[in-house]
Amino acid sequence: MIAFILRRLLTLIPLLLGITMLVFILMSLAPGDFLTPVKAQRDVPQELIQAIEIEFGLDQPWYVQYYKWLGNVLQGNLGHSWAYKLPVADLIGQRLWTTFLLSLCAFVFSWVIAIPLGVLAAVYKDSIFDRIVAALAYTALSIPEFFLALVLVFFAAQTGWFPLGGATSLDYEFMGLWAQLLDRAHHLILPTVALGIGSIASIMRIMRANFLDTIAAEFVTTARAKGLGEASVMFKHVLRNAINPLISSFGFAFSGLLSGALMVEIVLQYPGLGQLMYQSILREDQFVVLASVMMGCFMLVLGNLLADILLARSDPRIRLEGKR
Amino acid sequence: MGSKFDGKCSKMIGVLSGALAVFWATSCNQPAKIERPEVIVAPVPVDALQVEFASGEFGANIIETMAGDIATVNPLVNESAAGSLVIGRILDSLTTLDTNTGEVIPNLAKSWEISADNLQYTFYLRKGVHWSDGHPFTADDVLFTWSTFFAKKIDSLTGAVACDANGQPQYRYNSRSTFGQRINGREPQLEKIDDHTVRFTTPEVYAPFLLFGGGVELLPRHILNSAFEDGTLMDQWSVETAINQPWQIVGLNMFVLESYRPGERMVFAKNPNYWKVNPAGQRLPYVNRVITKIVQDVNSSNVAFAQGLTDFESIAPDNVAWVKRGQARFDYQVLDLGPSNSTNFLWFNLNPGQNEQGQPYVAAHKLEWFADARFRQAISYGINRPGIIRGVYFDRADILHGYVSPKRKFWYNPAVRKYDYLPQRSRSLFLEMGFEYRDGRLFDTQSRPVTFSLMTNSNNGLRVEMATVFKENMASLGIQVDLQFLDFNTIVSKISAAYEYEACMLGLGGGAPDPYAGKDILMTGGRMHFWNPQQLKPATAWEARIDELMRKIGRHTDVALRKSYFFEVQSILAEQQPLIFLVSPKDYTGFSNRWHNIAATPLGGVRWNTESLWAEPNK
Repeated sequence: MIAFILRRLLTLIPLLLGITMLVFILMSLAPGDFLTPVKAQRDVPQELIQAIEIEFGLDQPWYVQYYKWLGNVLQGNLGHSWAYKLPVADLIGQRLWTTFLLSLCAFVFSWVIAIPLGVLAAVYKDSIFDRIVAALAYTALSIPEFFLALVLVFFAAQTGWFPLGGATSLDYEFMGLWAQLLDRAHHLILPTVALGIGSIASIMRIMRANFLDTIAAEFVTTARAKGLGEASVMFKHVLRNAINPLISSFGFAFSGLLSGALMVEIVLQYPGLGQLMYQSILREDQFVVLASVMMGCFMLVLGNLLADILLARSDPRIRLEGKR
Repeated sequence: MGSKFDGKCSKMIGVLSGALAVFWATSCNQPAKIERPEVIVAPVPVDALQVEFASGEFGANIIETMAGDIATVNPLVNESAAGSLVIGRILDSLTTLDTNTGEVIPNLAKSWEISADNLQYTFYLRKGVHWSDGHPFTADDVLFTWSTFFAKKIDSLTGAVACDANGQPQYRYNSRSTFGQRINGREPQLEKIDDHTVRFTTPEVYAPFLLFGGGVELLPRHILNSAFEDGTLMDQWSVETAINQPWQIVGLNMFVLESYRPGERMVFAKNPNYWKVNPAGQRLPYVNRVITKIVQDVNSSNVAFAQGLTDFESIAPDNVAWVKRGQARFDYQVLDLGPSNSTNFLWFNLNPGQNEQGQPYVAAHKLEWFADARFRQAISYGINRPGIIRGVYFDRADILHGYVSPKRKFWYNPAVRKYDYLPQRSRSLFLEMGFEYRDGRLFDTQSRPVTFSLMTNSNNGLRVEMATVFKENMASLGIQVDLQFLDFNTIVSKISAAYEYEACMLGLGGGAPDPYAGKDILMTGGRMHFWNPQQLKPATAWEARIDELMRKIGRHTDVALRKSYFFEVQSILAEQQPLIFLVSPKDYTGFSNRWHNIAATPLGGVRWNTESLWAEPNK
């Protein structure tokens, strides 16, 4: 098991190297650099631009910049943001939990709704309920997140029931603790819905399919034959076996916890990591972009690893080995 | 198997939720952990400035939105408009600008003297002024601020001043002011006469010093000196400070930062040690807090105002019509402040150079057209500016005849050559150049069809529309224009480094109100001498004349003389049309009718006297 984990973590090294190098190349190919907007201002002295170019190493070719950056990263230093003059790690840390909270809410929201719906759709296969749920699921799957977010903004503006963006109200600073919690929850509703709806549909469809497969298995017939009640058969035997493949999708969901909310954050003006990343890409604030990309990649590998471990724990037929 | 998994699983959920709870608690309680120090409120300064506006009621809050977030509160680092706005509320300067007349007036310097040779400026600081944390403000703070600009980098091995490849000393902290405050590459000197007097000596006569040097935002020595010494000055006053220790950001202006949540909101509280008083001798401002919601763009900011959610707002010209609809319902008004500082213009690439492959930047025959002043004049006569104003801006802009927006009344030369929409005049100018018309198409002397490409930035909708009108105007002159809508960064690298384009339409906004601030645009060798940047010597006689006049504008302190020089610069530009000016959008500002002492000025809008604005306190 430990050998397996080590192996997985080792594959992360070439992966991160390749991805970061790609980001460096792409950013050097993109027109302009961090200083371009500064150059477009009328009262910036030429000497200052040159001095900063040297300071940031922007006068060097991309591979020299990459080499230097890599050296710093190996010493545990992700670099300083050029725009914020802050260590990148601190900058990400500031916004980490806002995004984490949103992703977690969306995660819980989608799983709590999707699993019962999937089970019910399977149990009442081909009923009118199953059809309606299927139709809704296909609709939800076909609406892109950002569009749903736009529709929700419109909804909030028309009804006034929900705040238009932000994570807290203007007078948040002057509220009591409970009012603050409620205020945050109120602000979380729309982003959670926008982010969660799509995965409800997909998780529900997977759940339904697995459930149907398992219902047809022989051990189910055995359970019924030994006289167990239908509820006990469905929820004790079928559900537990059917949920396995969902653990793999859990891995993917985990990887999106910190980086999956970009679109929704931008459209709904939710002040999390997504906005920071987006701004950094627009600004070409190199090290912030790199750290965000690395984080996304790391979370993906970690999520898959976690899913594999959970899978091995829940299903003794699966073995994790260091070597094949 | 099931029960085993369940056990693990619930344990894991327990751990996870426990961790989450800790996470929540730590995140929520963070600001409370670090103690906010007690602020000492010093007595009202002896030299307090008494404002003339009638006394009002204390205690109201301003609610507003700000388009875009800050990246830092450090004035040495900041490059964003949002950052400048925030810093400008906290920090203050020796001199400032009268928003009515455009003159330099006393601010933290109560008066000054200029020596007979126009080289020495002695500033007398207001006595008894304290920083927002209660620490006294003295000449040392002024000296400290300037030393951050010009401190030299010390080589750690030799202990001597580090030099660059050209033998020039390197600076320790490269900021805009480091290079911008030098006068022709030389630093002004300053000395402390006593605690409340500082004297600057400029290396040569430098007319805009009072505005540029006096306008420097002063930094608190008692807060920043240790960071200055240990080399971390540029990392100070970051957003981290703004989030966790906003009281560290100490200033002399009327507000201090109370809290900041990135991407969400800033709260400013009044500076308890501010140095302006009302006629009753009470310390200003009247406003208790300014609560600023951070939004992504000007449009969402305008929407918030139009729904009656905010107190003040500057309104984009294309949004005015619908914002005005809420005036009665939400009890606000929208004021027309007249022409803005923003200018829109186009120019032809007159750069005769070639790229690394030996290809000329502009094809030789096209360069020949562009370089002929008659060609540029003909184009200018062919642009339907009133049509742009009607069709693109819905009458919310003014024709721009020259380099200076009419907003800068004092420096604006109204008597320059004007280019009304006269397509007939364009055609006769082309014919005069030896061009000819065949089937409505224009051909040059060698029978080549006249055609060129024009690029502009795709993210500016109004400019894209203007370019489209321009294309149609040119089509009716028999000229084919190919429009290229490009990413802003691509345009900047084309006009400042690659030089491979034929014509470009852009705009400029803001900028310092002294004509010498335009030296990088107007003077040969300037970085933004758009039509032919960074020339070694002037390519034409008129460019040489502009250089000469601009040098005089820098060196003469006599206002009337400077004005006459600058008027001539404007006349030359209008005659030669190296930049073909189009229109200037109007400025609009909106404010809630609950505010008193509103006195709109063309340069300052309605917020220039924020210290005197008051309203009935919010519930």
